[in-house]
Amino acid sequence: MSKSSQRSPFGWSNRGGQVTVIEAPVARSYRRRATIAFWVTLGVVGLLAATVASEYMHPILGGLLGVVLGAVLGAVLFALIVAWPVLRVFWHWLPEILLGLATVYGWTTLMQSTPLWGSLLIVALVVGVPAAIAPTRRRVMAWAWCLIVRHRLRLCFAAFIATNRHGSLPLILLAKPTPAGERVWVWLRPGLSLRDLEQDGQMQKLAVACWANEVRVMRAGRKYAAFIRLDITRREPLAHTVVSPLPDYVPTDIPANAPTSPGMPPVGLDLPDVPDVTVIASPDAPRQRKPRNPTTAASPNGFDPSDYA
Amino acid sequence: MDLTDTIELPTPADTVPVGAGLSIFDPVFLGIDEFGHPAYLPMIYRNILIGGEPGAGKSSLLNTIVGHAALCPDVRLCLLDGKQVELGLWKDAADVFVGPDIDHAIRTLRRVQTVMDNRYAFLLSHRRRKIGPNDLFGQILVACDEIAYFSATAGDKKDQDLFAALLRDIVARGRAVGIIVAAATQRPSSDIIPPSLRDLFAWRFAGRCTNDVSSDIVLGHGWYARGFSSNSIDPNNQGEGYLIAEGGIPNRVKAAYMTDADIIRVADYATWTRRRSGLVAPAESAVKVAA
Repeated sequence: MSKSSQRSPFGWSNRGGQVTVIEAPVARSYRRRATIAFWVTLGVVGLLAATVASEYMHPILGGLLGVVLGAVLGAVLFALIVAWPVLRVFWHWLPEILLGLATVYGWTTLMQSTPLWGSLLIVALVVGVPAAIAPTRRRVMAWAWCLIVRHRLRLCFAAFIATNRHGSLPLILLAKPTPAGERVWVWLRPGLSLRDLEQDGQMQKLAVACWANEVRVMRAGRKYAAFIRLDITRREPLAHTVVSPLPDYVPTDIPANAPTSPGMPPVGLDLPDVPDVTVIASPDAPRQRKPRNPTTAASPNGFDPSDYA
Repeated sequence: MDLTDTIELPTPADTVPVGAGLSIFDPVFLGIDEFGHPAYLPMIYRNILIGGEPGAGKSSLLNTIVGHAALCPDVRLCLLDGKQVELGLWKDAADVFVGPDIDHAIRTLRRVQTVMDNRYAFLLSHRRRKIGPNDLFGQILVACDEIAYFSATAGDKKDQDLFAALLRDIVARGRAVGIIVAAATQRPSSDIIPPSLRDLFAWRFAGRCTNDVSSDIVLGHGWYARGFSSNSIDPNNQGEGYLIAEGGIPNRVKAAYMTDADIIRVADYATWTRRRSGLVAPAESAVKVAA
């Protein structure tokens, strides 16, 4: 968006009294695209409009009308394309802009309709209750992280993920909170593939930029190679014990009827109880084909179950 | 039968045990994946090999699989456990429980092999290729903890080879007739189980391993080079590991955990429902008849 951010926090330099909102090469490329779009629109719309209009009026008048219509539509398209880098920023920040507007207008309406203490009370309730209830707070924070992550990813894609010659970036689709962090779906544009993202260090850079622990990338489905999924991990969900649901299948009122085998007398459970006897050669001893250490073979941990048979 | 009934006397006589209604055709709840979502493992027509260092949570995962199968009314359990206590709590719910006795283990696998052959002959005579849900006969889960005990430690070389060969045959051919093998060992290297047996297991779970090579031995060659090594797992986080299942790419998961009290509760319930429905006869007599 801006080149000289060191001058002004708003991204424009006042050098020569001009305001740079869009970088010069980007602006040039968009102007070229806009010019092409203008002429194509003028040609196509003009021709179509002239053909239709000629049915109702004199062909020359119809032709002129077509040219005028084409020029007007082409100019609109031209303006849209030239301004697209700025409009896109508005589009990217639309949730925040809407939230901000809602806050400002909501506050103003509230102030006008209720006395000050009433407004403060309502705000305290609206903000305080979700903040006090842990699940709601976590939910809100998770959604906030989704918004943040989309901006961070956009920044990364523009900064160091290779793009195609036209500079079109991957489309960032939905973001969804997961128990571990966020999951973002991305549609890759021509010129980029999953392999580019999997290259050494790219995911680590993304993790750093997203203030996360780890970022993993994989295909989101088997159908489109362009459709990928980024999993941003902030918390470690595997650290806690996962309780098996199998006991839930057991009714609570079953009687404790453990059909245990008869108890075994506690004999031979310690080393002094087990006599030190030399290993008697087994019936197939003459073969002597066991170079592997025989102590291990007989009893891996000093415990020979056959003693208790 | 009389013995069973006397043991169960404390139960109210008019209570009819109702099975949990699970099926082995349902995927087994395994735990959660690294994004916090539940992970399920379809076990029907599949086999799983579980590896990892001692205390990595192998037996916990095996218990989850056996527990699911125990609550399925049409799955027979065939448990082999060189360490006895890991699967021993399911002993009464199982058709066969083999402790540290390689002869019994070989006899049991022979029985399973015979059942498998008979089932294939039956399917062929009905011009079918595999079994489905609610079929004429149920499924059999062969769960083996500490394969190394049977295939490399107990008995002599001949017995060990025979055990490995029988197990390989069951893993290789048992799929279509509903014989499922879940096997756990610490490091399934070639001196413990033959690679020809190891490579037959489609699903793999690697708990924490002490080095990258061990991780590759469990998951399959080449995964470490692609960035998947279970050596990177925190040794204190038992039950975490890499799982290769649907999708074919290792996923970090954390296996669900059942306390001993939970296992006993589930096992007792499974035993109760199974005995009442006639699924489990007292195991010893059945073995003698077959032998």
